[in-house]
Amino acid sequence: MSVRAQVEPHIEVHKFYGGAVIGAAFLALVVQAFLPPHGREYLELPLLVTLYFGLSRRNPESGLLLGMAIGILQDGMSHVPIGLYGIAKTSVGYVASTIGARIDVEHPLSRFAFTFLFFHFHQAVLATTQWLLLAQKPLYFSPKLFIASLANSVVAVVLFPLLDHLRKPG
Amino acid sequence: MTVMLDLPSRHRPLALLAVVILVQVLLLAFQIKRDRDVRLVRLWSAELLTPPQHAGRWTIGKVRDTWRSYIDLRHARQENQELRNEVNRLELRNRELESQAAEGQRLAALLGFRQAHSDIPMLTAEVIGASADPASHTIYINRGGHDGLRRNMAVITPDGVVGKTTEVYPSTAQVLLLTDHESGVGALLASRRTHGVVKGTGEPVARMDYVVNDENVAVGESVLTSGEDRIFAKDLPIGKVIGTQPGNPFKTIQIQLSARLDRLEEVIVLLTQQELALKKEAEASPAPSTPRQATSAPATTKPPATKPVAPPTSAAPGAPRPATTKRPTTTKPATTPPGTNPQ
Repeated sequence: MSVRAQVEPHIEVHKFYGGAVIGAAFLALVVQAFLPPHGREYLELPLLVTLYFGLSRRNPESGLLLGMAIGILQDGMSHVPIGLYGIAKTSVGYVASTIGARIDVEHPLSRFAFTFLFFHFHQAVLATTQWLLLAQKPLYFSPKLFIASLANSVVAVVLFPLLDHLRKPG
Repeated sequence: MTVMLDLPSRHRPLALLAVVILVQVLLLAFQIKRDRDVRLVRLWSAELLTPPQHAGRWTIGKVRDTWRSYIDLRHARQENQELRNEVNRLELRNRELESQAAEGQRLAALLGFRQAHSDIPMLTAEVIGASADPASHTIYINRGGHDGLRRNMAVITPDGVVGKTTEVYPSTAQVLLLTDHESGVGALLASRRTHGVVKGTGEPVARMDYVVNDENVAVGESVLTSGEDRIFAKDLPIGKVIGTQPGNPFKTIQIQLSARLDRLEEVIVLLTQQELALKKEAEASPAPSTPRQATSAPATTKPPATKPVAPPTSAAPGAPRPATTKRPTTTKPATTPPGTNPQ
């Protein structure tokens, strides 16, 4: 399968060291599992990793597959049915890769904004899936979610430069 | 994957997204249980597959019905014709059986009559023809002189008097029916023992003459032979009164004959004038009178013109004796009543 991306000419496609993507994703899931309960409620490290590699690699196919893998693993580590987070993170990976191929997302402000928006997009897909498949009342927005989105955005501004060190030098 | 690889590269991520989402949705559906503990994937499968199954079943049913109708119609005309032929054949067969059953009933009645009166010499005969003259009410029977028949023998059925033999040939005989103009028989009203003469009128209804106007004759009263004509034994049923009206000098009485002369097929020829005890007529008599006292006396031995009227033989025991029978002395039938032709 080709990993060639349709990117804008002025947008740079970043390459990462071997195993960096898998290692980062695995680490995010492990850390997420070891976070205290309040931390797990407000912080979504798997989402941030998905978002970062989607925006950086700018390849929709690899972005959605990475989102799917991280999401399904996250499902497996939680009590929700397998596929719930998988669908949400697949969607995030695809959309982030698609947007990253057209817009420069290297600036901290843009990373903050994208993280804020993708957090709510992720929550919207999650809530819609719960509503349609689990027949649960959907929760699209709440103050708690708003605070969590801000917290994740702040963490993303800090985390993404750290993850930038996993890139191969261009 | 082959399909996906054939897609343009700009559409491939979208197709992959759709596939991945679909796979995960199915994965969820396998895990999620909805109402009544049914897995979502099973519910979806049923909802997805049931309409086509219904449509398929409906279509197959229609095709099958249409095909069967076509097959049925192919042979319908032929079967219809065959069934009509069968119906016609069965109708003919039914008529044959009905005819045989009717004949059997008639023969059974004749046999029963003969067995009930085995001491009376009689012959059964079949009607083999009728008179060519419409005004002449005669029939021909298959018994004649070789069988012991003579002229002026009584011809009856178990129902009642038919007539008498008028011409006897070696193997056949002519019978003058009671409905003929020339026919007559000595008669009496069963309840009052009033004597008279029943004459044919050329119509199905006969007439009883020589009953005075003072006589109170009830409709429905039985009329029997009196034996005075020396042809018919006493107390054979002739018919019933169906109408009366005063006349001059005698009452006019219409009689419905007991024997169905229009549908005769078998008859009985009495070879004697010995009196018959007709149980059937005795039971049907509406007004029984006196007990039987003189039933053993043959009718031929009674002097009808002078002797008082004998008690009715058909009366039930214990019944009251009727009032004195009024007979017209001036028109009292002699040994041979007026209108009869015994010889």
